[in-house]
Amino acid sequence: MKEKKIKESKEEKEEKKEKGLFARKQVPPFRFENGVAINVKDMDLFYGDFKALKKINMAMPEKKITAMIGPSGCGKSTLLKSLNRMNDLVEGCRVEGEITIGGENIYEKTADLARLRKNVGMVFQRPNPFAMSVYDNIAYGPRTFGIKKKSVLDEIVERSLRNAAMWEELKDRLGKSALGLSGGQQQRLCIARALAVEPQILLMDEPTSALDPISTGKIEELCEELRDKITIVIVTHNMQQAARISDKTAFFLLGEMVEMGDTDQVFSAPQDKRTEDYITGRFG
Amino acid sequence: MLLHKKKTEEHQETVAGADAPVCREEARRAFKLDGEKGAKAVFFIAAAFSVVAVFAIVIYLLVASIPALSEIGFFNFLFKNQWLPKFYEDGSRPASATFGILPMILSSIVVTLGAVVVGGLLGVCTAVFLVYYCPKKFKGAYTQVINLLAGIPSVVYGFFGLVVIVPMLEGMFGVTVGKGVLAAVLVLSLMIMPTIASLTKNSLEAVPNEYYEGSLALGNTKAQAIFKVCLPAAKRGILSALILGVGRAVGETMAVAMVVGNTTNNFPTGLFMPVATMTTQIVKEMGYATGLRKEALISIGFILLIFVLIINLILTLVKREKMGGNALFGRKLRTEHAEDGTQKPKSQYEFRRGGIVQEVLKYICMVLAAVVIVALVAMVAFIIVKGVPNLTADFLFTAGSSTDVTMPQLLVTTLLIIFMTLIIALPLGIAAAIYLNEYSKKGSKLVKVIRLFIDTLAGIPSIVFGLFGNIFFVAICGGRYSIIAGSLTMVLIVLPTIVRSTEESLREVADSMREGSLALGASKVRTIFKIVLPSALSGIVTSIILSIGRIVGESAALIYTAGAVIGMPDGYGSSGMTFAVAMYKLTQTGRAGDMEKAYAIAVVLLVIVVALNLLVTFLEKRIKRKTLGTTGTGTEKKHAHAKQEAEEENTEALEPLAEPAPAEGAKA
Repeated sequence: MKEKKIKESKEEKEEKKEKGLFARKQVPPFRFENGVAINVKDMDLFYGDFKALKKINMAMPEKKITAMIGPSGCGKSTLLKSLNRMNDLVEGCRVEGEITIGGENIYEKTADLARLRKNVGMVFQRPNPFAMSVYDNIAYGPRTFGIKKKSVLDEIVERSLRNAAMWEELKDRLGKSALGLSGGQQQRLCIARALAVEPQILLMDEPTSALDPISTGKIEELCEELRDKITIVIVTHNMQQAARISDKTAFFLLGEMVEMGDTDQVFSAPQDKRTEDYITGRFG
Repeated sequence: MLLHKKKTEEHQETVAGADAPVCREEARRAFKLDGEKGAKAVFFIAAAFSVVAVFAIVIYLLVASIPALSEIGFFNFLFKNQWLPKFYEDGSRPASATFGILPMILSSIVVTLGAVVVGGLLGVCTAVFLVYYCPKKFKGAYTQVINLLAGIPSVVYGFFGLVVIVPMLEGMFGVTVGKGVLAAVLVLSLMIMPTIASLTKNSLEAVPNEYYEGSLALGNTKAQAIFKVCLPAAKRGILSALILGVGRAVGETMAVAMVVGNTTNNFPTGLFMPVATMTTQIVKEMGYATGLRKEALISIGFILLIFVLIINLILTLVKREKMGGNALFGRKLRTEHAEDGTQKPKSQYEFRRGGIVQEVLKYICMVLAAVVIVALVAMVAFIIVKGVPNLTADFLFTAGSSTDVTMPQLLVTTLLIIFMTLIIALPLGIAAAIYLNEYSKKGSKLVKVIRLFIDTLAGIPSIVFGLFGNIFFVAICGGRYSIIAGSLTMVLIVLPTIVRSTEESLREVADSMREGSLALGASKVRTIFKIVLPSALSGIVTSIILSIGRIVGESAALIYTAGAVIGMPDGYGSSGMTFAVAMYKLTQTGRAGDMEKAYAIAVVLLVIVVALNLLVTFLEKRIKRKTLGTTGTGTEKKHAHAKQEAEEENTEALEPLAEPAPAEGAKA
């Protein structure tokens, strides 16, 4: 009897914890409809007076890899950053039009940034591991969202590293500083770190541009493995990379989206003359 | 009433109803948003504190000096050449009493200018030697010594002047009293030299190497390149170093008071004329002045503050690119045209070998750098040799009495002040730095203003803080000298150091770290506390150590706030002496045995400064290594790094020979 009572009171306490004003609210995922993860509608983006993106309309399918290609300065990275509102950090940046994820406009005033970025993770051009151990790097995200229990964290760290295919390499170095890893390992660690909060969408901003060919290959393999689990949007300078890994490809030029379609189609039979010129290497 | 009731009923209904979770959710969201905003507000208040402090000091001193200024008359005060504060016993004053401070103002100016000319010359020459001519082997050690000397408290310099320079001058020039203008100039020069040298060194090192190479490529000698290209390129930095030196020299109190002679109403007409400067007059009379006399002293402090604010303003203008640029250093083009307006044909130019002046300058630099280092090292050695025998067990370990100064009393007082000051100043300073670096928009006017005020706060002389502390903190802490009043005064003094040092290390944290954290959905506050601040730890630790050094060496700001009572303090409410204050006091009593104790304290101060310096170097190295991620494999990494560097050097050396290499690579 007594034990039961104690158990009950514990449960009650936990319940109270969840219900109180100071309790952490759950972070709900986005609900995708009709297999569309992100929908961009008539979107313009300004840096001060400069219009960096013009009338972008595109839909990124769920659990597929969408690649964005185009010459430098065409706005593809800008668009990527605006998908989880990392462009908020850029001064004078303004977005008009609509970006919806699972039917919710992420630029609405009441939008929850923490929820957005938890569900839409990001991997940057240059690896940016925090100055802490491998373990703490990966546990940082889950800790941010209120997971304190060591056993749960251990589980998440192992699973994330396994998902990023680096558990075997790193399982004996979890306590070592992440800054001691090689560039390629650091970048894959950053991917693992992003996966640790179980995002639905992963944005990758030229994730292999700072890496050697072998590390690049490993990251591409990783994308392949993640293909059925989450939605990936990747910006790349490397057209072969886009052709190799993506399902959909969008071509950008001077702030406009010129063409978007199935990767095979875009690379073999582009609709637009400019796309063809770019792909065949006539400019860019 | 009814309406109200209805509303509450409605409210209850919604809470109890099906919408409850939504409602709570919104409340929570509002609360969370407020948390973020609240944090920002806290950081902002901390940053604004320095602005408030500067205003408070200026306005407080102004208000406190208005009665005196109006009674004496502003121009009588500034330009009458007699300071004769006579009073009858009932407090009224005879017609012959005057409060003119012209001699003090002129003495301050003369001593300051002399010190900046001598100290500036020594400092700049030392820096040139250090950057361009010093053998690589000694460079590190020399830099360390200069940094160390910059940290030695001014009382120690004053003490050295009192026991070495003054007797030396008496011997060399055959004068009966060596104290006076020249002695003060020499002491101040030695004191400001390390600061000027280290700032000049920084700006010389910032000159792009291309300038030097470009100059050599035109056929210049090394000396020509240095003195005609590199030095002019760093002139802005050197100028601000000199102005900073002016600020320090004009505000210096204790070191000057020990060697300047302190004879009121003398004009600085000769090298050995004993005079009183504005700062020394304040520190000499503040202890017993009352009524109008005290107000007049505060007015002197106010005038001094105005002086320093003007110097600060000039410094800001020089530092600012737009203002200083060509307006200050520009030169008009003077092309010599022949009478008919065409330029001379080429054959008329004569090219001659030059550079003798620069060669001479080079040797001057080397000699002065050697002289400086010898003088300063001799100073330290002298104090240690004379002081160590005076470190008796009796002095070091007995609690002492109300008539005997002993080490434990000084140590306890100093530690109490350090503790209280840091407890208050550290959170304040770090929060201010966070606001300035993490929340402000680039180029925001508000932030510029706050930065300007923080710099201003850093430039205010400690005697002015002492005066402010005396009329403000002492008053709110119970009306008598107390350690808490001294600590609060020290908060204002160390705050700019903490803000600046922390801000600098926050700036060094890469933006990609912040982005990485934010992209994981972490809030700004969490990002700051979990990612940014830990990476900036080294800067914060450095600022703590620098602050401790400042507190240990401070005397002018403490003597009339924490007081100078002999005896073991029994808490923050009681008065007590720190090391530096005690040292000054002991040189002034003339009692047998006191001078020996001053020697002993000087040794202790030197040891503390050296220890703190070593600690900074050690911690910085360690933290750097830690953040570089080489825990455990530190030595390996170092070796690898060194190897890589060596390889790079090799390839550089081999470059002209390695031309066929790319072709081979292409084949492969």
